[in-house]
Order: sequence, then C-alpha cells, then structure tokens
Amino acid sequence: MSIVPENLRYLDSHEWAHVSTDEPGIATVGISSFAVEQLTDLVFMALPKVGQEVTAGHEFGEVESVKAVSPMYSPVSGTVVGVHEELVNRLDSLNQDPYGNGWIMKVRMSDPSELTKLLDWPTYKHQCENS
Amino acid sequence: MTVQTEVRSAEKGVVLITPPLPGTTNMEIDEALLAGATPDSPVVLRIYRWKEPTLSLGHFQSVEDRDEEPGLSNVALVRRKTGGGAILHDHELTYSLILPARSAAEKGHSEKLYRSVHLAIAKGLQSLGWDAVLSETCTCSTATNPKQEPFLCFSRRSPVDLIVGQYKIVGSAQRRTKLGLLQHGSLLLRSSTLTPNLQGLLDLPNSNQENLEERSRSVGIHQTQDEIEFWTKQLVLWLQSGVSQVVECGWQPAALADFPTLEGMKAC
Repeated sequence: MSIVPENLRYLDSHEWAHVSTDEPGIATVGISSFAVEQLTDLVFMALPKVGQEVTAGHEFGEVESVKAVSPMYSPVSGTVVGVHEELVNRLDSLNQDPYGNGWIMKVRMSDPSELTKLLDWPTYKHQCENS
Repeated sequence: MTVQTEVRSAEKGVVLITPPLPGTTNMEIDEALLAGATPDSPVVLRIYRWKEPTLSLGHFQSVEDRDEEPGLSNVALVRRKTGGGAILHDHELTYSLILPARSAAEKGHSEKLYRSVHLAIAKGLQSLGWDAVLSETCTCSTATNPKQEPFLCFSRRSPVDLIVGQYKIVGSAQRRTKLGLLQHGSLLLRSSTLTPNLQGLLDLPNSNQENLEERSRSVGIHQTQDEIEFWTKQLVLWLQSGVSQVVECGWQPAALADFPTLEGMKAC
C-alpha cells in the first residue's frame, strides 16, 4: 500500500512518521514534499546508523541543499532499525516520491504514544499554507 | 516553497567585532551563538579575522579533497557548520549573521538573505568604483544534475555570488536549524600566495581609484591595520543595509562578554 500524506503524522519542522499495520511498533520516517521544495536542490544527506538511538524532536541527520545545511529532527524516540542507504546516491527520489522511495529511516519506537503529539495532516497542511 | 517575504520588524541587532582568533575558536563562537538563539535573542552581525591563514571546509567536504590544492596541504584546518566550498581565510574578512528563528517551520536556505546582503555589498563597492555584480551563473551540483564542483568556494559560482569581472569577491553559505539561521560569508580583499589563482578586491581594477584613495585618506588609512578597519566599517554598514531587507533592526555594538552562551570563551 502506498503511503499518502493524509495518513501521516508530522513535526512542525517537516519530518513525517508512518506506522504500518504490518509493523505496529516501527515508524518509517521521512521529510515532507513541502520541506523538499523549501530545501531546493539537494546535494548531500548524512544518515543515521542502524542501532543508533534517536529522540523525538532531536537531530538524527543532516541534509545539504545548495550552500545550506539543515538538520533533520526525529518525530519519535527509539532505535534505528533500518536506514535507506541508497538514498544518498539518489536524492532525486525525495523530489519524485518523498512519501515512498524517499523514506529515510525506520525506528523501533520506545514510546508509541509520542505519535499523538505530532501534527495531523490538516494541521500540518495549514501550517505550510501559512508559513 | 513559501519564502518568507515580509520584513521582520523592530528587532534588536548587535554588532560584534572580534580580534583575530584561532579557527576552532572562531567556529565555536558562531556555533554557540546559533545554539543559544531564542526567539528573544538579538540578531547578531559578527565581523572577524583569523590568527593564522586557515582553511575552512564546507560542512560536508572531505579533508582529502584539499589535495586538489597542493599549496594548502599544511595550512591550519577547521570545518564550518555551514555548507558550500572551502575558503582560505588569509587576506579576507569573514562575517557571520545569526537570525533567531520565529518558528521551527522555517527550513532550508534563505535566498532572500543571501541576495539582499550581496546586493547591498555590490552597491557599496560600486560606489567605491568597482564593477561589482551578482554572478547569475551556477556551477552547482544538484540531485538531478550531480557533478564535481571545484573544491574552493571562490572557484565556484552560484547565482547570488558577488563577482568583479571574472573573479568572485564575496561568497556566503548557511545553516538553518529550528533555533535560527547562521549565514557565513567572506569578502576576499587580496590574493594569497597559497591560492594564487584567486584575486581579491584590491587586486582588481577600480574605475575611481582617485576617489577611493581620497575616501581612504579621509578616514586615515595609511597602513594595513587602518585598511582592515576601513573595510570592517564598510562591511558592517553594507551588511546592516542588506539585513534590513529581511529584518529591520536597531543596531548596537556588543562584546563577547555580553553573550552568556560564550562564557567559556571570554579568555580568548
């Protein structure tokens, strides 16, 4: 099943989290199409490592667009169990499919209730339209 | 992308001019200013130089890539938190701008800040007789068009870089976190023996040399140190003008001791 933005939860800093019914304890994390658009041309991405602990609201990686570096913040806390290594060499995937092939990491959540603190689609969309 | 278009108003701005410091200290100060930014913090405009010729790498550049420039193999090295290419800080002035974030939703670069700052410097240089313009060309590598860019910032071109003739004179790069925006920039004053292919502003033709010399004399420029003071003052005025297109600030001078987040660095 493809991921659609309406079904995701968001940080106000534009990272999304998705939890599949197949893997209820695992959150897939990426950055929104709005963020990709704001970042413009991406040239480099520093990914986390499998086994790394991440904390909700804290940095887990960085992305460089033309001459500007921006940290990426994790929407959930837990342990990184999957990293989209190929993405570093195919950053255009983020432009084409930010919610599918543009996924960045998978996190085994230590506190799934954190998901409820994230923005739902209408709230996030409203933020983007008014920023 | 929704670019911030309105001018933020009525904010406090401070000008921090620091003496030449080691590269690591220079970078630590800028990083601490960004890390300590809060919505109530002042906008910081800092001008500085370096205690010895120092090569600052862009955040993601590899140390091995400096082999492209054999003359730089033994130069002091530091890494910036901002992107872009490597800069040899020798006969140049460095600036940093720290703009506290109004919201975590701001992401990526602010072309408006790049452009307005560089346009203000270009206008200032034009008034002194240099044919300074924005490059409006690009050697940029992108996800859809990957290519090897030159190692040195001043050998690269992005559309908002400031050039005089064929030479880049001012380049800038940014880092944006949820706390704020850090913009680094460099005004290349003279060529360095370590990068002889690059020319500085004062190496390049000036259509109004007489006027420049008169203005220099009027502010008492006779020696190198006076020259640095002159260009520092000019750069402060131009940067304030450029920043005012994005954030309207009332500016005051400041010292390192005025920043609690720099507590451990006051001895520098």
